[in-house]
Amino acid sequence: MTNATARLGGRLRALRDQRGLSQEDLSRSLGFKDRQTLSAIETGERRLSADELLRAVKALGVSVEQFIDPFQLAGEGRFSWRQSGVPLEGLNRFESQAGRWVAAFREIAPQVGRQRPLLRPSLGLHKGSTVEEAMAAGERFAREFDLGAVPAARLQAVMEERLHILVLMVDALAGISGAACHLPELDAVLINRSEAESRRHFDLAHELFHVLTWQAMPPEHVEAPDEDAGKGRVEQLANAFASALLMPKVLVDIPDPPARRGYGGGVGYGDGRGGGRGDGWKDSDMPPPSPKEIKAIAVRLRVSGVAVKWRLVSLGVLSRKAALAIDDRTLRGDGKGPRPPLFSKPFLQVLGQAIDQGQVSARRAAELAGLTLDDLAKLFEAHGVTAPFDL
Amino acid sequence: MAATAPPVLVDTNVIIEAWRVGGWKALVGRHAVETVEQVVTETQTGAQNRRPQQHIDGRELKSTLAHVHAVSDGARATLAIEVFDIALDPGERDLWAHALQRPDAWVLCGPDKASLRVGIRLGLRDRLVSLEGLWKAAGYKARSLRANFTEAWHAQTMSALVMAERPAAGRRSK
Repeated sequence: MTNATARLGGRLRALRDQRGLSQEDLSRSLGFKDRQTLSAIETGERRLSADELLRAVKALGVSVEQFIDPFQLAGEGRFSWRQSGVPLEGLNRFESQAGRWVAAFREIAPQVGRQRPLLRPSLGLHKGSTVEEAMAAGERFAREFDLGAVPAARLQAVMEERLHILVLMVDALAGISGAACHLPELDAVLINRSEAESRRHFDLAHELFHVLTWQAMPPEHVEAPDEDAGKGRVEQLANAFASALLMPKVLVDIPDPPARRGYGGGVGYGDGRGGGRGDGWKDSDMPPPSPKEIKAIAVRLRVSGVAVKWRLVSLGVLSRKAALAIDDRTLRGDGKGPRPPLFSKPFLQVLGQAIDQGQVSARRAAELAGLTLDDLAKLFEAHGVTAPFDL
Repeated sequence: MAATAPPVLVDTNVIIEAWRVGGWKALVGRHAVETVEQVVTETQTGAQNRRPQQHIDGRELKSTLAHVHAVSDGARATLAIEVFDIALDPGERDLWAHALQRPDAWVLCGPDKASLRVGIRLGLRDRLVSLEGLWKAAGYKARSLRANFTEAWHAQTMSALVMAERPAAGRRSK
């Protein structure tokens, strides 16, 4: 069996499944006497002929171009979009584009020797889990995966290197924050790189929750906006998990001004930090943190001031009433900061290896990335990967 | 043009580079250069996928090409069955789909590793040539030629890709 034969068979099966056709149905259209012939083609044991491919294309209602394009999901992936006010038509169009990036990585990575993950990690949470349990899971994740003093700064690398999740920074439609994508062989998270840094970090942690709980509580295709009061339970749990992961209790401390020293006792983080007020906050008679102090935490942890405020509420440091009295405008950061380069280093490494090994042509890779060939070369450089062509 | 020289099939990369270094006339003056419709489309402003773009006059291009071939879905299907796992762009793919249908002794100039790998997979490595080699035959020396178009790159890359294709060749013979 050749690679081409096996993968062409896989494409035929995926398209047949997508259209809800049985092997018997398609076998009839292809003029096979029995379904065993089709079965052998789909499993890569028998080669599809050119005439059969043309008949299959007709029966499946796709163009030859679509059929032979290896960078298509053919209905195999499921997305969950975190967005606000994006028309479904636009979302579906973008999903089709995003699916090509994910499909390309799925196809190419094994070709260049990057094995698919053996195991798919999951959190032991379910729809009946409480917000407190989701927060505890976020805290544990930050601790057990050594996210360090600024979890937001390490999270993407941990997701890529230790959980083998494909993370892509993308230029998405305005209103799309991010998405999780679940395939049988791969998990992916897409983040709109034009969002503010703090937002991107929260989205990443939020989508991580969906990836880690997809089986137990598959998310909706389109999430309700955060401000929607009717936001579902799964989304509440995802936000609680993300909040605790990015702002573990031990890190949500305020630099001790001289007048406040003596209230501390928080658990250190193994890196010389810690020693803030920790649990002492709750029981102390200290005044609640000021907007300036909340902003300082937000800047340090690279999250938004508003996220810190509500995290302090969930930790019992700030009363809900006091939180509502703080004007969110006073917590806003200075700006968006630099955008990360498109996609991600692992994605560019795989694409670069595929070009270098002659699995993908450079022009095809540029088209996939939505860039000119020259801009693709620059993107490789931006990720610290040598451009594998000089065309 | 030498009567015995085989027709040369070229892809979008070759046309753009030949235009960029000012060597197109030297190329078509020595060789019968042919391509496919998709490649001609990809050389035109707005479809080149390059920055900066070369201004390639479509009429002049077509008038200097020996042939511009249409490609059928059947030809694309025939190619796909052999090389579904190698992702080419539409111009590169159509050029190979066309080449596979031809009974004569053509050569193909496509400076991307994926295009070269297709040729090796199909047992046609002797048909693969570099742009610099074609120019050498025309007595033309291009200045500031990009690496993928040089004879040295071509020779080195072919050796590496032949090695890479060996396991695939072994599998096909089973």
